Amino acid sequence: MMNVPEAQGQVAARQSDEQVEQSLYAKQQKIYPREVHGVFARLRALGVLGLLGIYYITPWLRWDGHQAVLLDLPARKFHIFFITLWPQDFIYLAFLLIIAGLSLFFFTALAGRIWCGYACPQTVWTEAFLWIERKVEGDRMRQQKLDALPMNARKFRIKATKQFLWLAFAAWTGFTFVGYFTPIAELGGRMLAFSLGPWETFWVIFYGFATYGNAGFMREQVCLYMCPYARFQSAMFDADTLIISYLPARGEPRGSRKRSADRQAMGLGDCINCTMCVQVCPTGIDIRDGLQYECIACSACIDACDDVMDKMGYDKGLIKYTTQNTVEGAPTHILRPRIIIYGIILLAIMAGFVYSISQRTSLGLDVIRDRNTLYRETGEGLIENVYTLKILNKDDIAHVYTLTVGGIPGLQLYTDHDKIQVDAGEVKELPVRLRADEAELKVRSSEVLFELVATDDPELAVSEEARFLGPQ
Amino acid sequence: MADRQIPGIHKCIAVLWPSFLTAVIATGLFFSAFDPAELFPFNADLEISHMGIYTIGFFLFWLLTAVSGIGTLYFAMTNCMRQAPDSREQ
Repeated sequence: MMNVPEAQGQVAARQSDEQVEQSLYAKQQKIYPREVHGVFARLRALGVLGLLGIYYITPWLRWDGHQAVLLDLPARKFHIFFITLWPQDFIYLAFLLIIAGLSLFFFTALAGRIWCGYACPQTVWTEAFLWIERKVEGDRMRQQKLDALPMNARKFRIKATKQFLWLAFAAWTGFTFVGYFTPIAELGGRMLAFSLGPWETFWVIFYGFATYGNAGFMREQVCLYMCPYARFQSAMFDADTLIISYLPARGEPRGSRKRSADRQAMGLGDCINCTMCVQVCPTGIDIRDGLQYECIACSACIDACDDVMDKMGYDKGLIKYTTQNTVEGAPTHILRPRIIIYGIILLAIMAGFVYSISQRTSLGLDVIRDRNTLYRETGEGLIENVYTLKILNKDDIAHVYTLTVGGIPGLQLYTDHDKIQVDAGEVKELPVRLRADEAELKVRSSEVLFELVATDDPELAVSEEARFLGPQ
Repeated sequence: MADRQIPGIHKCIAVLWPSFLTAVIATGLFFSAFDPAELFPFNADLEISHMGIYTIGFFLFWLLTAVSGIGTLYFAMTNCMRQAPDSREQ
């Protein structure tokens, strides 16, 4: 062994790695978050109620005689209020996903993990499940006592009640989910009659089970082990990002004391080491150890600490929303290159999205030239080109269209059908022949323009360019 | 080594969860481009509903992406062993 010191160094490094990994993957202790009251708890409750309300109520809304939001997979069309999207419009969904992703970047850089604390479905449903748990089992102390007890009739009754409520809530969640894809009123009727189809049953159970598992059992573990955002959000942070922080300069040295005690004489900071901030934390961390990736910025510790500071007669804000710069006594800049760049890109894409939605017509036209022959000479000395038109009616009703073509003087249009009718959602293939006088063809390839207009609605029009080939 | 430290449940999550997300995207893209009715003209005999085909398609995608995830996990783990040859002696 020539490089003994290095080998020892490697062993030591590996051991410390193992320790880190072992502590990372240590068996999780069950966390009993203490209930918290305060400004931010009310804000979160508002967020939870609003978002759950949107989720559970939306499928029941009606619009213009149909379900307002219905992602009708069998018919392959998505009704979203006044707009009907076809598979061809998948681009809009991609647009929306990009906007959602960029918004997440923008708001993370600006305000940290507010998404996690207030709006993430994981937080929202966990809050709802925690609320049920508290109503049935009581507060944190009672829950811990109950779990410590051996199984008896009372414990079984309480646990069974909780599980029943959780399962019922989860089943309703799964039912609502399927209601976005199948007309929900009809689905409800069939569910009450126990005559759901096998696939509907499967998805109600699958989604319900996912809700139950994630919000009832996994909880903070989803944020710690499953959430990709939690892993990379720190890349969007800088010293001016809003974070939740304990102010060590004010709090330390921490220590318990009587309310009447003179902390200055005792040489203590403002933190009375009551551990309330730890008890309320849904991910079970101590915010006083500094910013940690486990922190979902739910601000429960702010409410808890403010409450304690009030009781002690100290100023609020020992734990508060702040920035790293402020904590270190430097000025905080809200407008900075990162924010401006994210903001400009986000605005540009949103403007593009709104513009393309507003310019979207319920009519699509594709012109495909016949690939076999370039052109054909007819008996009367005319040059003929053959095309196939693909007409897509993206409207909810059938339309009759008028087809015209221009670009070459005296151009003649021949189709096999007198009347071009396309049913709702149908793609119609229409063979078309164009004939032009050879004398009118100045160049080998001329431009022609097909125009398609609905007879009952002149606004519903689309035009498409094509090439007309001749001998010259 | 990595095998010993990472509990099975976290390996399952590491494989199943990202593959679930990619399978959702793949299903959306695939079925927006292809109508099951046109893909399987003989399906009329089997009488699987659209929702059934979408479901089966989703789980097939999930299976494929999960297999890819297992491959990545396996190669990452075995690669760790190669980089630390002294661990074989122990």
